[in-house]
Amino acid sequence: MVGVERVLGAFGEHLVLTYASLFLSIAVGIPLAILSLKSKRLASFIMGFANLVQAIPSFAVVAIVVPLLGIGFTPAVFAIFLRALLPIVKNTYVGLSEVDEAMIDAARGIGLTEWEIIRYVRFPHAYPAMFAGIKFAAVLANSIAILTAIIGSEGLGSLVFEGLASFNTDKILAGSIPAILMAVFIDISFSYLEKRVTPEGIGGG
Amino acid sequence: MDIRWVWESQNLAQRTLEHLRMFGIALALSVVIGVLLGLYLYRRPKLAPIAFNVLNILETVPTLALLVLLLPLLSLGEKPTIAASVIYSILPIARNTYTGLTSVERSYIEVAKAIGLSEREVLLKVRFPLALPLIAAGVRIAVVFTMGVVTLGGLIAAGGLGAPIQTGIHLYDRDIIIVTGLWVGALALILDGVAALIERYLRDRYGRR
Repeated sequence: MVGVERVLGAFGEHLVLTYASLFLSIAVGIPLAILSLKSKRLASFIMGFANLVQAIPSFAVVAIVVPLLGIGFTPAVFAIFLRALLPIVKNTYVGLSEVDEAMIDAARGIGLTEWEIIRYVRFPHAYPAMFAGIKFAAVLANSIAILTAIIGSEGLGSLVFEGLASFNTDKILAGSIPAILMAVFIDISFSYLEKRVTPEGIGGG
Repeated sequence: MDIRWVWESQNLAQRTLEHLRMFGIALALSVVIGVLLGLYLYRRPKLAPIAFNVLNILETVPTLALLVLLLPLLSLGEKPTIAASVIYSILPIARNTYTGLTSVERSYIEVAKAIGLSEREVLLKVRFPLALPLIAAGVRIAVVFTMGVVTLGGLIAAGGLGAPIQTGIHLYDRDIIIVTGLWVGALALILDGVAALIERYLRDRYGRR
């Protein structure tokens, strides 16, 4: 058996790891998407880079962080951040740039500044795509946060790896089941949040 | 950095073959199962929302959690790795097959019926070819998923390129990590590139404009 405190502790570490990385990805990703609106070249560079890195296996990303930053919590956050950033930037940019030009013209016509157009016109229209990106990033972060235990991030993954090393099924279950519940929770809560913040009459899916 | 030393001491040639073998088997299974499921759901559209919801939930399960949960059923090694790859890859292929088959323009179907094609012929000669670009897009997503899962297989004794990465991390050996990590990354990009080329070819050949 695995002690309840151990599982709760590991779960807490897992949450901190997942959400710290996710928060960082959002904090960097959304400004990057806004910047991409300003320059076509930056946009195509970022999109190309995003598509490229998304094809690389998470395990390779986690491993390559080790020679650069060593092991522990920070390198783990960095590895998760790298992977979670891309869907956020990509989806936010696509959402922001696919707003009807007529709408932008109308906003300009009533005297909104460039910034106000982004804030009050482009963003509400981008919410569905943006939240889909954030949800995907959160699911990805939750998944990689298990794996990063191999580079010393602690959390639920360390239970899984200990269980694997000692053929201890209880430990494996104690590590993996909460992570799966967490994934389902993320999926449901972010879908709910998306519905709440999207203004009526926009997107619809 | 001594690339040659890493390549030989870690047996990367053989690891690469193991890796590609698992990748090939898993992808082939995913394509067969995914396309068949898409076809089946096209015939029974009432089941589609339920099936896609279930697959969507499976999709969110952390990869390593799914791999270790399959251990008691399939033991260590290649089997659980291939099974997990297939479980993740069915959704993009089945969903795109289903969407591709159902979203064919009405006028094409009407013309096909007017010249006397049966339902079955319409499906095989009109709907399916027109769905091919979307199916290929689904397969391309599956290529990325499969590559990711197969690499993780190294952690449950499936061999492949994940094994030397794990060794590198455990020994804290910079050279092994960098050489193997970059090699897996390059391999993933090459396979994704090939999938993209096939998708583009099918889009040019059967794409709707």
